[in-house]
Amino acid sequence: MKNFKSIAIVVGLVIALFILLDGFYVVDETEQVIITQFGDPVGQAVTTPGMKFKTPFIQRAHFFDKRYLEWDGDRNQVPTKDKKFIFVDTYARWQITDPLQFFKRLRDERGAQSRLDDILDGETRNAIASHDLVEVVRSSNRDPISGATITDVIEDSLENIAVGRDSIQVQIQQQANQLATDLGLTIHDFRFKRINYVEEVRQTVYDRMVSERNRIADKFRSEGQGEAARINGEKDRKLKSIESEAFREAQEIKGRADAQAANIYARAYDKNSSSRELYSFTRSMEAYQNIFDDQTSIILSTDSEVYKYLNSIDG
Amino acid sequence: MANSNFSVDIPPQIRNLSGSFRYILLGVIALVVIFSSFFTVQPEEVGIITRFGEYTRTANPGLNFKMPFVENVRYVPVQRQLKTEFGYRSTAADVNTSYAKDGYRGESLMLTGDLNLADVEWVVQYRVDDPFNFLFKIRNPEQTLRDVSEAAMRQIVGDRTVNEVLTVGRAEVSIEAEQLIQSLADEYESGIKIEQVVLQDINPPDPVKSSFNAVNEAQQQRETLINEAKSAYNKVIPRARGRALETIQKAEGYSLDRVNRAEGNASRFNDLYSEYIKAPEVTKRRIYLETIEDILPKIGNKIVTDQQGNGVLPLLQMQMDGAKVANPNNNSNN
Repeated sequence: MKNFKSIAIVVGLVIALFILLDGFYVVDETEQVIITQFGDPVGQAVTTPGMKFKTPFIQRAHFFDKRYLEWDGDRNQVPTKDKKFIFVDTYARWQITDPLQFFKRLRDERGAQSRLDDILDGETRNAIASHDLVEVVRSSNRDPISGATITDVIEDSLENIAVGRDSIQVQIQQQANQLATDLGLTIHDFRFKRINYVEEVRQTVYDRMVSERNRIADKFRSEGQGEAARINGEKDRKLKSIESEAFREAQEIKGRADAQAANIYARAYDKNSSSRELYSFTRSMEAYQNIFDDQTSIILSTDSEVYKYLNSIDG
Repeated sequence: MANSNFSVDIPPQIRNLSGSFRYILLGVIALVVIFSSFFTVQPEEVGIITRFGEYTRTANPGLNFKMPFVENVRYVPVQRQLKTEFGYRSTAADVNTSYAKDGYRGESLMLTGDLNLADVEWVVQYRVDDPFNFLFKIRNPEQTLRDVSEAAMRQIVGDRTVNEVLTVGRAEVSIEAEQLIQSLADEYESGIKIEQVVLQDINPPDPVKSSFNAVNEAQQQRETLINEAKSAYNKVIPRARGRALETIQKAEGYSLDRVNRAEGNASRFNDLYSEYIKAPEVTKRRIYLETIEDILPKIGNKIVTDQQGNGVLPLLQMQMDGAKVANPNNNSNN
């Protein structure tokens, strides 16, 4: 009997301990908690970490994450305003900012994810469909850096944008936040993760890229040939000009020399009649020296100046 | 308590053992307490300690103590450089690291600003800078970093032409990507510090690769053609220049020669003339005779005829056989 009593006490103690333990709960740094009593939220959300106490069994603790949470969009296939078929992969970071409201409206994270899917996918679709593809791809109107050899061959320009990727992202985020105001959550950031042409369109894009490259390659080749021809022509021109200029200059020099020589001779020989006579005489003598050789035969009369004394002493 | 109920059947050895059971139990409890109190933090890590879920302190590398059961430790490798790859994965990091690229095209294929496609592979190297934020401010920070990186890289590549991305813009792309990823990582309070964004291969997509190569080839061809033409030019023109100088120098030489000779001749003539004028007759005769004296020995065939000897001429003609007939004096042939 005594034994039974002690067992009862022990059991009672265990039950009491169990009840007491149910009242304690631990809130992690990453969590926030709301307390419900028979399904109805009671009091404010518990957002500080540590060990907490609630009425055991009657109240229940619901844990929600306090951190930035991820949301990953579906790979959406959407046509843009300029009828280009692309798929868009998006992500967002969101946070449960009002756990009470969150609990009332969405119950748990699963519910939130599916609500976010509805809101963000829809907004993405709207935004993409009302903008041209460039607007989604580009985020500023910067000018491309030129200087690469290829860039001066093709008109490497970027189309200007009116809105741009950043603004569209912000716009979607704001729209979504408006739709989600009463959900107890805030979307902190929304971004396009991947944007690409759908598979069927890609081939035509590749074809365009190939033809563009071919155009560049052709241009390079013809540029090379043209430049080579130009250099070749320049070579010929230069050659002719160098040669002919040299010839001209040489002739001029020679001409001047001839003139100068003629002048010198004239001044020496053309002083008066006797100098002229002396010149023609000495020059003839000089010529004789050069004209005759051992092949020459000469018949001289004894009348001549040389032999005239052969016949007579008086000549 | 349960023991006492069945004490009757227990043999003495076991009874002895059960006597020391409480000591064994105490020992086990003590061991468990000790093991859950001490922990080692590796050199590259820090330990983040929470008490009932609440952050209390950070434990540095080495042996550390915590309150058993109440406190929890989470390790964060703050010193280790971590990396996450896009468009490929290193499969076996070794001296020759091998890479797997299949199946990661979706990560690397992106639109450029001129609506072309480029295949950009990159790696983000990062470190956990703020372990508190890393653990408590964001869920799944690694996945977040991947999302952020992809979005940032596409945003930056989306603002450039395909040519820029492939050539001159590389460095700029990696710098800007690093800045953008860092700013987003800060915005999300991820506690992550981006060390470096390294661009790996940047290629045109496979189907157009060959035509991109053709462009490079054509570029080379252009250079080759131009170089060949230039080399032909260089082979000819300097030589021609040299020749031209040669021609001119020769002409100068001719000129000097001509003038000097003229001056020499003139001077010689002038000297002679000044003497000649004093005695023209004699000088003239002297020169004449001297010349004849000089010439006649050189001449092979000399015939001296008398006034009456004209008859021999026809005979001589045969003998001379085409040799020149010259007569210094006018009256010799009459």
